[in-house]
Amino acid sequence: MASNDTLAYLRSRYLPDHLIGEVLSKRWIDNAIPFSALLLTIAVLGSIIPDFFSASSLSDLARQFAEFGLVVLALTVVMISGGIDLSVASVFALSVLLSLIGVNVYELPIPVVLIGILATGMACGAINGVLVGYLRLRAFLTTLVSLIIFRSIYEIVFLRMSTSIMSGFSMSDMWIFIGEGTILGVPTSLVITATIALAWHLVLSRMRPGWRLTAVGGARRSAFNAGINVRFMVFLTYVASSTMCALAGFLFAARLGSTGSDTGVGLEVQALTAAVLGGTAIGGGRGSVSKAIIGALLVLLLNNGLINLGISGPITSTILGAILLFAVFIDMRWQKHRHRILAKIYVSPAYLKLPPAPKVDAPGSPYALNDKLRSVEIIGLGEIEGPEDVILDREDNLYCGTRHGDIVRFFGPDHKRSEVFAHIGGHPLGMQFDRTGNLLVCIGGMGLFQVAPDKTVTKLTDETNRSWASVVDDSRLRLADDVDVAPDGRIYFSEATIRYEQEDWATDALESRPSGRMICYDPRTGKTHTEIPKLVFANGVTMCRDGQSFMFAESWTCSISRYYFDGPKKGKIERVISDLPGYPDNINRASDGNFWLALLGMRGPALDLAMRMPGFRKRMARRVAPDQWLYPNINTGCVVKFNEKGEILDSLWDLGGQNHPMITSMREHRGWLYLGGVSNNRIGRYHLPDADPDWCAQDEYWGPRA
Amino acid sequence: MINALKRAWANFRGFDLDGGTVPPLDGPLRPNAKLDTLPVLLRMDDIDNLTAQGDHVICSLHNDILTLSPTRSEGGAQTFEVTGRRDCGATVTSIASTGGHLALAVDGKGIVVERPGEEPRTIVADGLPKNCITAMTFADADTLFVAVGSARHAASDWKRDLMTKTASGSVWRIDLKTGGATQLASDLAFPSGIAVSAKSLLVSEAWRHRVLALSQDGSQQGFALSGLPAYPGRIIPAASGGFWLAMFAPRNPLVEFVLKEDDYRNRMVETIDPAHWIAPSLLAGRSFLEPIQGGTRKKLNMLKPWSPTFSTGLVVRCDETMGMLHSYHSRADGEVHGVTSLCETGGYLLVGARGSGKIVAIDELTQQAMA
Repeated sequence: MASNDTLAYLRSRYLPDHLIGEVLSKRWIDNAIPFSALLLTIAVLGSIIPDFFSASSLSDLARQFAEFGLVVLALTVVMISGGIDLSVASVFALSVLLSLIGVNVYELPIPVVLIGILATGMACGAINGVLVGYLRLRAFLTTLVSLIIFRSIYEIVFLRMSTSIMSGFSMSDMWIFIGEGTILGVPTSLVITATIALAWHLVLSRMRPGWRLTAVGGARRSAFNAGINVRFMVFLTYVASSTMCALAGFLFAARLGSTGSDTGVGLEVQALTAAVLGGTAIGGGRGSVSKAIIGALLVLLLNNGLINLGISGPITSTILGAILLFAVFIDMRWQKHRHRILAKIYVSPAYLKLPPAPKVDAPGSPYALNDKLRSVEIIGLGEIEGPEDVILDREDNLYCGTRHGDIVRFFGPDHKRSEVFAHIGGHPLGMQFDRTGNLLVCIGGMGLFQVAPDKTVTKLTDETNRSWASVVDDSRLRLADDVDVAPDGRIYFSEATIRYEQEDWATDALESRPSGRMICYDPRTGKTHTEIPKLVFANGVTMCRDGQSFMFAESWTCSISRYYFDGPKKGKIERVISDLPGYPDNINRASDGNFWLALLGMRGPALDLAMRMPGFRKRMARRVAPDQWLYPNINTGCVVKFNEKGEILDSLWDLGGQNHPMITSMREHRGWLYLGGVSNNRIGRYHLPDADPDWCAQDEYWGPRA
Repeated sequence: MINALKRAWANFRGFDLDGGTVPPLDGPLRPNAKLDTLPVLLRMDDIDNLTAQGDHVICSLHNDILTLSPTRSEGGAQTFEVTGRRDCGATVTSIASTGGHLALAVDGKGIVVERPGEEPRTIVADGLPKNCITAMTFADADTLFVAVGSARHAASDWKRDLMTKTASGSVWRIDLKTGGATQLASDLAFPSGIAVSAKSLLVSEAWRHRVLALSQDGSQQGFALSGLPAYPGRIIPAASGGFWLAMFAPRNPLVEFVLKEDDYRNRMVETIDPAHWIAPSLLAGRSFLEPIQGGTRKKLNMLKPWSPTFSTGLVVRCDETMGMLHSYHSRADGEVHGVTSLCETGGYLLVGARGSGKIVAIDELTQQAMA
């Protein structure tokens, strides 16, 4: 092994490149940057500001957060729906003032004051909501105007009442409890805010109104077309926003017991900075409670930290403004480029060293070239597209899948007439009959299905157990490929890859990563579990005649293995063939006790070399258009026969692939071999001179018909 | 240093600094399948160097020179039959003829000149390579212009010359009276065709995808064509004015990418049979060991004509200044690939497709009438 080969091998073995793409494709990745910024801020401020983590400063911070967090949450809710609410600060200030007037001047009972305040908030929000939601005014201008109006009311009332507010004083226990009390050591106001935040989290992420809200912000027209009352939803967000701001003002009043001419000034900019820093999209449709909390904490800590460090108010505002600008910039770039970055780095080829390919033109090679498959009889030419697998029943009817999502049945014995046996929707791949004559079929992108002889379609399974260490949720079946049934009825089927959809199989070939698996569905319990994880494009599977093991193919490693699911060797995997000259696809039984194997494409030295150079393939994936990528040579058709020891006994070729390029499956039936290809428009029928002319696979599996 | 940074950045961003983008086939190069519809006059693998000599056509086949004479098949169609064959002892890489004069380039021997009434003689001159003479043309009976593809590789090893990024070709003028040879240009990337125009000497520089226009003493260099989407080869003058240009293989984005990937390219060149390289070819798809590309997959049993391919057939009609006028193609699914030589005779243009092993004939007048 050359030294750069060793490096490439070690790198691909121990650096999980593919995880970067998987992590980036997660939804929570949006929060990762703000969250790390928050951790960094805490670390930096904690180390330079004395007493940062002391109980008193934390409690103070918690109370401030309770109020500020509510305002940010209010703004977030509006922003998710695609709007903006600049009047949050004015509503906040107004409700501080009104709370104090109610408590200090008129000495009303606290619950009455609270209800009054919330009602005021609702009224303010309703004004915004009607203007923006129903009259369709621009959110930005409307709330800017209401900001000015509410603020003016605040200024007018404040001038008249400031003296009486100062002179008044409330001895209400409840007022003090809200302002300074704790519940189990947690400040009361924080408990209130946390409760509201939790409620919003549930609404936004788990409940219908929250989803509708997000839908309105994400695509207003689509939301309307989907039957959502868009205007009412928008109206509600403003009402909710102002109500929460009013509550925040109430908490602020209870904590400080006084107000000044600067109360709430600039709060809208701080709240906006927090929301955007947390990752809430300005355009709507993206945002969450956790984003609001992260953003609020970040801004609050920065603000307090800067004040603690003795930096004057205007400069602090300037710094926050700069941070807002930066956050908006990052938000815009991230939104725009996230998918592009993901597309570029998702493909992550691995090192794969294949043993030298057998020389097919060497004298005595079992792979001796011929053109036996070029002159086969053709069935269904032009009628079907993409018969990945073919199968015959005892009545000589021929079944195949098509890319239109049908299972087509050609009537025996001449296969001239056909009908759509079942329409399932996904491209049917591997097929097999179970004991009672049900047709089991793997469907790319859908899972394992069963079609009864009376044509009823049943979904057997579309998910397996999620593996613990995987980043992406790998429980859903993405590319169920080939299937076979054990004598006791357990169904074993392969899933080629969990990283790509069916049409992107070649990208998985480019990666050649162990991302496929063998899955078992037990019809007795209805449970599905992963039997063998981490296979390189697990493909064909067929039961051995001992009833306790099966053969399976791993395409990109050009190998066939045998797995024991029962008996003394239970759980063992034995490699049967490791140096095929091509990429194996489906395996099926032959009448003479051996196995047929389809090679979907042939190995070439240029690709074999590229397999040992993952960096080359990665750059190719990024720099060259997919149509120009280096591919396995699938324009040749080849079927070989092998025995349980892994010896190749025979080979049938269509060199140049005139009739049958890319043979993905073959089925022996009563002396003929039927050929399918996933991208072909025909089924081939080749006469096997030495085969048992009465042999039918269904009889061998399940015995002659009862 | 700055260039290295620029390259690294370009590599990271995935754009192209050095013209590795293959230009689209457009304008006069708009693809068609005309070459595939033409009558086939002769089928013979590896046929090359079609040259008109009087009524006959001569051509090379490995070490042999064949004389072809027009005849009619039983159905009355025009064909050729082989009426003469002589062995030159080594691979004939190029033939030029004017009047009764004939120049043969034989690997290892050099240029053999046969003039009426004289003994054949071999040109021996200081510095003039004896291998890889890719094209020759007579300016007059006493002046021969010669293109030497590479000082390092044989003409048959042209893939290696490309994939090792060699630029050791040269252009020479030989005075047949004195036998003196003058080098007009050097360090060219595989000159593969040569023709004399009114003002200048036209030289195809294959690996740089362009046609040079040299002054006849070599003192000035310009470009007659550049940024071609295929590798230009032999050029012959057309009887009705202007030129015919044969492009022997298409450029391919994957090949351009491999040309930038030094590590992979070196290992490929060292360990793999050239027939199975990721490289342009005169005829691709002979063996399943050859690489294929995503778009070359057969879908519904059909190879699409627009598939990416390592070989095509392409003949371009050019005006007096090498401006391209129109072209004849054989696309990915076609069967006239790897056109290396052209020759006009009897009102026809004979197209020698070495890759597919065929001679087809273009009748320009009828073609234009059809268009």
